[in-house]
Amino acid sequence: MAKEDPIRFTAADRARFAAIADHLIPEAEGMPAASAVEVQNAGLDHVLSLRPELADSVLRGLRSGGEEDGGAAAERLNREDPDAMGAIGLVASAAYYMHPEVRRRLGYPGQVQRPVTPAEEDDFRKGGLLQAVIDRGPIYRPTPEEGGAGG
Amino acid sequence: MSSGMESEGAADVLVIGAGASGAVATRVLAEAGMKVVCLEQGDWVSPDEFFGHTPDWELTSQKIWHPNPNVRGRPDDYPVNTEESDVNPLMLAAVGGSTVIYAAHWHRFMPSDFRVRTLDGVADDWPFAYEDLAPFYDAIDTEMGVSGLAGDPAYPETASPPLPPFPIGRIGRRAAEGMNKLGWHWWPAPMAIPSRPYRGLSQCARRGTCMQGCPEQAKASVDLTHWPAALKAGARLVTGARVARIETDRAGRATGALWRDRAGVDHFQAAEAVIVCCNGVGTPRLLLNSASARFPDGLANGSGMVGRNLMMHPYAAVVGYFDEPLDSWLGPAGQAIHSLQFYETDADRGFVRGAKWNAMPTGGPLGMRSAYGGKPLEEAWGANLHKTTAKRFGRSFEWGIIAEDLPDEANRVVLDGSLTDGDGFAAPKIVYRNSENTEKLLAFHLARAKEAMEAAGAYEMTTTELMRDCGWHLMGTARMGRDPETSVVDEYGRAHDVPNLYVYDGSVFVTSSGFNPTATICAIALRSAMNLVETRGR
Repeated sequence: MAKEDPIRFTAADRARFAAIADHLIPEAEGMPAASAVEVQNAGLDHVLSLRPELADSVLRGLRSGGEEDGGAAAERLNREDPDAMGAIGLVASAAYYMHPEVRRRLGYPGQVQRPVTPAEEDDFRKGGLLQAVIDRGPIYRPTPEEGGAGG
Repeated sequence: MSSGMESEGAADVLVIGAGASGAVATRVLAEAGMKVVCLEQGDWVSPDEFFGHTPDWELTSQKIWHPNPNVRGRPDDYPVNTEESDVNPLMLAAVGGSTVIYAAHWHRFMPSDFRVRTLDGVADDWPFAYEDLAPFYDAIDTEMGVSGLAGDPAYPETASPPLPPFPIGRIGRRAAEGMNKLGWHWWPAPMAIPSRPYRGLSQCARRGTCMQGCPEQAKASVDLTHWPAALKAGARLVTGARVARIETDRAGRATGALWRDRAGVDHFQAAEAVIVCCNGVGTPRLLLNSASARFPDGLANGSGMVGRNLMMHPYAAVVGYFDEPLDSWLGPAGQAIHSLQFYETDADRGFVRGAKWNAMPTGGPLGMRSAYGGKPLEEAWGANLHKTTAKRFGRSFEWGIIAEDLPDEANRVVLDGSLTDGDGFAAPKIVYRNSENTEKLLAFHLARAKEAMEAAGAYEMTTTELMRDCGWHLMGTARMGRDPETSVVDEYGRAHDVPNLYVYDGSVFVTSSGFNPTATICAIALRSAMNLVETRGR
């Protein structure tokens, strides 16, 4: 949706989105605020290009209520329109956690390629880990004759 | 159907559905020289349609590649009414079916699974034994390129899988150390994912995005493992072909199927034999939609068992959090180790049968945040979001519990009175409730899984008592058996009521076991198709 109609979100919509997003994801614990990684601009547009079905709920939430700060808007939406609140929270957090700087600070490389290396093979044998299971012996019930004692 | 129907040249065999069982059967029959046509309502999925190699992966997993067709809502999907079900059925309409998005846990059933009546006094015995299916398990392991380790003491001696097992990694080691402290069984997990390059499949890159489609072509989904060979052998695969009903003649034999293409044109595909491979929901739906004056309760439903005994494997989980980095996003997504410690019946527990456990990675940060849903705003967001993420992300694993689901005639697939698919054909409705046995079983296993987590060193845990979106395993709705009064098909999938109609998918299961069923679905399809080749013309 957003890629097809990028002007659907006005500057005011984006400012309100940033305010709510910063309440949900503030600068704290060594992590940047949501707006510091542009969730309200490129992030919002990218997420909605992948999940256009969320746009109506996001817009509805952003355009409801009067003058209030991001925290008050989030609290009100959480009470009165949890669907809109859920959509805003999902879009904000998705945009946030997809940002490379956020991933760097989390120590999360993403779902990268890491094929098995020879050094990793048979790691389950180290220290006799698997041998302990083998030593405990079989645990299955073999096939009985059909129609034997039940119960 | 419209009057402008197009009629296709007759096939020896018509296979309906191009998923696991349909692919295995089509390959066997085509390689035996039969003229085989397969109708598939979905389409081919290209690896570039997957997002696993991009940061978009988690977001798209919650919609575009969600396993629930009601969430996904693709045009190929049919809707399912789940208002009267504790569990949502999961599936994908595509060439390769749900194997395109499965986790590729590759387990065979244990010997006791085929003899639950004899051993435990519940449900029914299967019409064949583990030993009858074992050679077909071995063969299908080779066809799929299974990575695993022979010698699991939870089984009789088996052939070695063709590829070595994956390392169990940090989460597997944590889990295994906990199990050893308790003296409980575990084993490196068998996976239909190549740990090394294998017959055209790439080596697994361990991206951990298996359940949203593998962008590396490094997972044994049957669009990769079976369809190329089936097409090379001359099979004809028609995609975008939604089957409305199977037709029969005056003698009560199947004559072929009516189907509609994407342009809305109706067709009739004639065939000497019809094999239904549409999964445990789609197969009874089609048989019920094929009712006629001769078969007023649905095709092959003289027993009344079509659609009944639906089993979907209720799934519960315990996630443990640890004080060290565990690479909790590293693939394969499915499992590092499994445990069958509490699989077999112990009468002292107050329930019968058991469950398989799988120790799994927990994925990316968005999925972790989604798990906070439903909590108060100040708890789920704000500085607490950062604190929780720093504390938990990458430092956890899940013990997933696949509960054996006993057959119950009240759990069933019926036709919905008003819901339809995009072509106007009646959609299925699921009526499914967990039994008292299941509830006791899950409670026991959750308690043991918490003990296992504690033994592994978890400082904190979260528990999911029943995951609603867990109906990956669709079984039992056209059960096999020797008695036409109580079963739909015989041990080779041949319908008791319609001699040239067959069912090869998970619908034929007599019981569900506690295992991921795809290995067994494929082994049964292979056994059945080979029997059809051997007995053809008799």
